Amino acid sequence: MKGYIAKRLLQIVPVLFIITFIVFVLLYMTGDPVLLMLPETATEEERQALREALHLDRPFYVQFATFLWGVIQGNFGKSYYYGQEALPFVLERLPATFELAAASMLIAIVIAVPFGIWSATHKNKWLDVLISSVAVLGKAMPNFWFGIMLILLFSVKLHVLPVSGRGTLEHLVLPAVTLGFGIAAQITRLIRSAMLEILQQDYIRTARSKGLIEMLVIYRHAFRNALIPVVTIIAMQASSLIGGALITETVFSWPGLGQLIVQAISRKDMAIVEASVFIITLVVILSNLLADIVYKWLDPRIKYQ
Amino acid sequence: MIDENSSTWAKRLLLLILTLLVLAGCSKPSATPDAKSAGADKGEDKGSRILTIGMPTDMVSFDIHNHNTILTEAIHINMFNYLFKRNSDLEIKPDLVESYKVVDDTTWEFKLKKGVTFHNGDPFTSADVKYTLERVAKDKGLKENPNYKQIKEVKIIDDQNFQILTDGPQPALLNRLSRIGSGMLPKAYIEKNGFDYFLAHPIGTGPFKFSEWVRDDRVVLEAYDNYFEGRVKDWDRVVFRKIPEDSSRVNELLAGSVDLIANLPANLVNVVNAEPKTTMLKATSNRVGLLAVRSTKGLPTADPKVREAIDLAINKKALAETVLGGYATPTRTRVTPGNFGADPSLYNTSLYDPDKAKQLLKEAGYANGLTITLHSPNGVYTKDKEVSEMIQAMLGEVGIKVNLELMERAKFTEMRAAGKNKELFLASYGNSLFDADTALDVYRTEKAKTELDYSNREVDDLLKAALVNMNPKDRTAQYQRIQKIVAEERPHIYLYSEQGLYGVKKTINFKPRTDEMIYVPDITKK
Repeated sequence: MKGYIAKRLLQIVPVLFIITFIVFVLLYMTGDPVLLMLPETATEEERQALREALHLDRPFYVQFATFLWGVIQGNFGKSYYYGQEALPFVLERLPATFELAAASMLIAIVIAVPFGIWSATHKNKWLDVLISSVAVLGKAMPNFWFGIMLILLFSVKLHVLPVSGRGTLEHLVLPAVTLGFGIAAQITRLIRSAMLEILQQDYIRTARSKGLIEMLVIYRHAFRNALIPVVTIIAMQASSLIGGALITETVFSWPGLGQLIVQAISRKDMAIVEASVFIITLVVILSNLLADIVYKWLDPRIKYQ
Repeated sequence: MIDENSSTWAKRLLLLILTLLVLAGCSKPSATPDAKSAGADKGEDKGSRILTIGMPTDMVSFDIHNHNTILTEAIHINMFNYLFKRNSDLEIKPDLVESYKVVDDTTWEFKLKKGVTFHNGDPFTSADVKYTLERVAKDKGLKENPNYKQIKEVKIIDDQNFQILTDGPQPALLNRLSRIGSGMLPKAYIEKNGFDYFLAHPIGTGPFKFSEWVRDDRVVLEAYDNYFEGRVKDWDRVVFRKIPEDSSRVNELLAGSVDLIANLPANLVNVVNAEPKTTMLKATSNRVGLLAVRSTKGLPTADPKVREAIDLAINKKALAETVLGGYATPTRTRVTPGNFGADPSLYNTSLYDPDKAKQLLKEAGYANGLTITLHSPNGVYTKDKEVSEMIQAMLGEVGIKVNLELMERAKFTEMRAAGKNKELFLASYGNSLFDADTALDVYRTEKAKTELDYSNREVDDLLKAALVNMNPKDRTAQYQRIQKIVAEERPHIYLYSEQGLYGVKKTINFKPRTDEMIYVPDITKK
């Protein structure tokens, strides 16, 4: 297992290099950032002067080599827009991003696990129909609409929670519920279908026939085996949450990575985009690795080479 | 086999959930008093000495010379002073300057007010003026450099007196010294600590001093006790919160957690006015929506009759009333009242005569109609897509088929910089200098080559003369003449001047400004 983890960690280096190169090429190809930095009425001479000042007049390979050498030293360069080092900008967004991701994932799990199991154990009964319908609704509802509805009810009408911003635990509730509800809907349906399949297995019948109470059969024998696909989907959702929950962040003015990276792309702010993608890639690789380790933890029969 | 491990897996699952909880716990920041009050100040307006303002964007940086965005400047002006500032009627008044005189066409002499200090207690002197203005005038990497490169040198006479030498006559120098990027920086503080330190711990001479900036979230400023005009009376602290989503910004106002919001969208004005505690306020802005018309030979728009027909076919009043919700004024010039050189006869008026437009098209040889292209950005200017679609429909009524090409900002800017625009494109321009030269210099043959392909010798001569004319009366007449020519020849077809909309609590007095600055000392409690 240790050798496997070491191998996976080593693979990070080429992946990061390739990603860095692709992002650099794509941004380079999308055009000249100076056009967006000066007013529309700026003259070509003024633009050229700024290009020279920012070294954007150099050939592609020189720009990339300079950039890569900086990255190796942990320096992604200065943001064109903010005029400051890019990496601290990205790193200071991480706490907010992790906070929202963890809270919404927690809400999703707390909702999805019992409801998924109840839905499966009450197959085709009214409880199952109700849970399944709510799950479909949860998946179909656009985040921004659900978020705004929550704001109107809990903040504008009832005055019990803040509308937007970050600071106290109260600020976290609405954005985390908005995001968590959508994810819960997906996990609930997954747990239901996995449980339905497992509940028909021989070992479940054996467990029942030896007289175990139904609670033990469901939670100890069946649910544990339904967890593998659930862990997969949690790892995937966690990766995308770290990549930025743009719409939720915008509606709730949450200062996370999603807003930063989208703004940076639209401004062609190379250093910020590169630093963000670098960090997100790292988090995604590590969360996938963590998921693989959790598989092994949950099911000792799984072997990694 | 499964039974043997049953208690272990339950523990592991618990551990996983606990890890998530710890992650959430670890990343929770210490709640600032403002953060708490943001959610809890409902109904406590009268006692609160914290003013909270909802902004659509975050501040770019504390580098006052390197941002060129109005909403960032709207925050900066509360921390930094200009040498001159505009009052709410747009008149330029001395701010840090006590008096001044024009020595000759290229030399201006100024005397500073006494007793002005930076937030760290250092006195403000001529050396700070020299450092500030020469930095922006000489560093071509700064975004505000094009607006200050006309300053050749700042000559210090003594701590209180200095001269500004310009590269030629600069009738609009005071306009420059009272706009974005002309706040005064602390020379000694920056030289001692470095510019990066200044950016993290900025100080100025203004009524508020820096307290905290949580990026993409809030900028917090505190009243400066030793402000040279006296401490701000009604507020101890001002919080500028970034709330990008329009409906969330309005909801924050309705919930009572912000006192004022900028960029209120026209479609939400009714929501704000329907609430008894809030209201909408508006101000004429300096921004004018227009169609740029290319006069290149071979294009239908090279014919003045076609350009006139396009102008006459567009009902600007209808555009202002419908798409812009009534918060816009039709205009035939970009130099609106309040700007130096304005021609009031071309403001709040428009031409609309579809029958004459059809007639003109017939005379131009397009009796069977013609097809032109309109490039429009999408999501850059107020309701740009909707305005373009309405223009497309209006031109269709007189027989001009419009191919509407909607473009995202980067592509749109790239097309214009390369001069690849066709007959028409939609744009909207502001004018932070409040001087006609900014608005009209685009018609100089040399400058108009790329986008408009417009040339008029008389306009060229007038622009050249007005730029260096130190006689305000003559200079105004020159710019008014140019505006008349442009209104006739139509290298731009002007549509409307936009209005800035704000939502405010009825517990405060606030007068929106044409320059879109939010000057907190002017905001008072009722």
